[in-house]
Amino acid sequence: MVSKRGQDGPHPRREPRIPGELSLKGLEEVFRDCADFNKRHMFLHGDRDRGVTVCYIDGMARTERLNDYVLKPLAQNPVLASAPREELFSLLEQGAVYAQQATRETRLDPVALALVNGSCALFLDGRDDALVVPVATEEKRSIGQPENEPALKGAQDSFVESVRTNTSLVRRRLRAPELRVREQIVGRQSLTPVDVVYLEGIADPETVERVERRLEEIDIDGVEAAGNIEEYLVDGARSAFPLMAYTQRPDRFCQGLLEGRVGLLADGIPLGWLLPGTIDQFFKTGQDRAYHWMVASALSLVRYFCALVTLLVPGLYIALVTFHPEAIPPKLALSIVAAKQEVPFSTIFEVLVMLLAFEVIQEAGLRLPGPIGATVSILGGLVVGNAAVEAHIVSPAVLIAVAIAGVAGYTMPSQDLGNALRLWRFLFAILASLGGLFGLALGCAGLIYHLAGLDSFGTPYLAPFTTGTKVHRGHPSLFRLPLPAMKWRDGAARTQNRRNQR
Amino acid sequence: MKKYIGLVPVLCLLLCGCDRLPAAREMGDMALLRTMGVDQAEAGVAVTGSTGPRAKGLQGEEEASLVLAADHTSLSGACLAMQGLSDSYVFFGYVDQLLLGEELAAEGVRPVLDYFARDVELGLGAQLWLIRGASAREAVSSGGEKGTDARLSTLQTDGEMGMANLPRTAGEVYTDLLERGAAFAPALTPAGEEDTSLTERGYGVLRDFQLAGWLEGEAARGLELLAGSPSPDMLTHPLGENQVSARITGVHTRPSLEFQGEEPVGLSLKCRAAVRLEEYQAPLGAREREQLRDLLEGQLRARLEAALTQLQSWRADCAGLGARAGMARPARWQEIQDSWPEWFSRLPVDITVQVDLT
Repeated sequence: MVSKRGQDGPHPRREPRIPGELSLKGLEEVFRDCADFNKRHMFLHGDRDRGVTVCYIDGMARTERLNDYVLKPLAQNPVLASAPREELFSLLEQGAVYAQQATRETRLDPVALALVNGSCALFLDGRDDALVVPVATEEKRSIGQPENEPALKGAQDSFVESVRTNTSLVRRRLRAPELRVREQIVGRQSLTPVDVVYLEGIADPETVERVERRLEEIDIDGVEAAGNIEEYLVDGARSAFPLMAYTQRPDRFCQGLLEGRVGLLADGIPLGWLLPGTIDQFFKTGQDRAYHWMVASALSLVRYFCALVTLLVPGLYIALVTFHPEAIPPKLALSIVAAKQEVPFSTIFEVLVMLLAFEVIQEAGLRLPGPIGATVSILGGLVVGNAAVEAHIVSPAVLIAVAIAGVAGYTMPSQDLGNALRLWRFLFAILASLGGLFGLALGCAGLIYHLAGLDSFGTPYLAPFTTGTKVHRGHPSLFRLPLPAMKWRDGAARTQNRRNQR
Repeated sequence: MKKYIGLVPVLCLLLCGCDRLPAAREMGDMALLRTMGVDQAEAGVAVTGSTGPRAKGLQGEEEASLVLAADHTSLSGACLAMQGLSDSYVFFGYVDQLLLGEELAAEGVRPVLDYFARDVELGLGAQLWLIRGASAREAVSSGGEKGTDARLSTLQTDGEMGMANLPRTAGEVYTDLLERGAAFAPALTPAGEEDTSLTERGYGVLRDFQLAGWLEGEAARGLELLAGSPSPDMLTHPLGENQVSARITGVHTRPSLEFQGEEPVGLSLKCRAAVRLEEYQAPLGAREREQLRDLLEGQLRARLEAALTQLQSWRADCAGLGARAGMARPARWQEIQDSWPEWFSRLPVDITVQVDLT
């Protein structure tokens, strides 16, 4: 009987996953009840004394490659029929089959994993070792446009679900041999390749080591969502704020690597993460370096301003209208009083309900298929925006305040940051309902305290605005200088080589 | 350290006093008073408040202005009594026009200004007007259903643009009275038979928080020159058959004190005015311009003399001439500062006027 503690306790990772010596029978046992597992027995150049069994997984191995580069030479190469029997294996290993790689394996575990990854295994009759030949299929989504980060002026390619394609996209941009791609397998069942990508000599080795160590520590069933990586890599459970910046765009990913950050690519997830994540990373867009520096700086300031607007406007409205009406300009106050007279609900209730309604409409629009989602958004907007005001359910000023806060939130380049701000917006509204501007000020102090306590791979989250890393930053974060003046890599990333240009 | 962070908000609440958190109040049921008049009354003070025209509903349908009046022994008592007169919560935070009756001004304005300075909702940012020849209650009620708020706001804006009497806030008047012992405030009077409206009647001069007298006409214009504000009237002079109108666009008056030993022996004023020709029947030649300049300088000098004569007789340096002159000689000024009203009343004044005609 297994104790309760034993059931709930951590499962030790078994290495090797499939113990034992290799044999065809053993391999068949591993893949029993697998409809896609195939094997074919054939004779070398028709010699009935010389048999070979080819094992592969249908769908993972590419049929043309298997036929042309493995089965065809096996069936047609006369040398295989005439060569001494003891030399057959080495003949196959050294070029009788047409493949860029052919590896002899004697253990069951690597052969099983190779088959899953699209290789085929050749068993000569009478031998238990196997020759593993990669014939994997390359079926995958083609490289498309980055839908979440559209580029008006810049590269139009985007990461896809295949990690190897993604690393190739990176290497095509950073041709330096110092680009390192170190791979780890994450997930007991998914066995997902996760690549740590960095530029040796620029990236901080300590950060690379931290990332690899955290990856090794991940012991989960599978990597099916971005959260499977993010939430295990950083201690972010206590914060709604994102601690790992991500991008769909290879050019932005490469820019991060050039700044000395460490990249992370996971198979099956068309994103690249850049570590460590500091707060300024979530206010930057891929277009910042494409636009003129004055325009980029102005837009950057607008984004920071919008973050404050989306956070504070609902709370500020509650605080001013309910607690400090004397701070409102007289004409505005008179129109608020006029509109509010026929509304039966308190301002606090109005704002909180409208914030909730805004979230509901947004969520409904996202979950439904495109055309229906748009209809729901329009219908919801009309109901909330017009009918609710005319029916005196809410006053127009509340609607404007909530709409301004909502729209300002959409300017955030990072959806994760926008979501965190949405959560804190509710908290600020509640605090303002309790204590007016005093409550709001307390909330702001709490937010700063919270942000100051966060760190990403040893780098303080607020490092761009503090001296936490004790490294001179070199250039400001709120706006962008002309590129020739940005001679230094990001100090927060603790790069080895600070200077990035002459 | 992190364990104790939860204590920080609790500590904040304790430090600010848990019961001192601001109280919530919905704006929908508020009556926002915009104008407040204070008079002397038998009971003590008579307070009148007006909301100005109000809007209701989404379309902003106009409602008549709400006028509340209460008499009480104290100003705070009268304000409290006004709360009971309205269906809505009477909010004083938007009072931006303060009207003081002549009787109250003669009796003393200090209690009113003190109350405005100390009250949480009221403040010293309100414009202060003295009502001449009528009570503040009459003045507040003179606007009828539309209230006097719009008229007073227009006068204030015009005054700031140099097209009406110089506006003063309660704070400016209060500060001047505390620092100099004298101040001036624009005077208004209700005029007209049916459609009564408030019209300008010069300035009231306060000394030691009491009304010293009124300045009107040329003397009032002279006070504006002393205060460095352009007069809101046209200066018209006939040059032969050519009728010329000019307007003062900028004034700078620099006072200075002359000392003999420790004592001041004279006050000199150098007034430099920028005057713009507004209207003429024929272009002016050099000789005519010179002639006009002489006329204008004479007129401005006469205005200054009229104002100074009155102010000296009241011993009220409400334009702060002494303090401004004393900035050049701070040690000497410090010695005579306390007795300045006496010195001001008997010092001979030498006036120099320079007009820059454009």
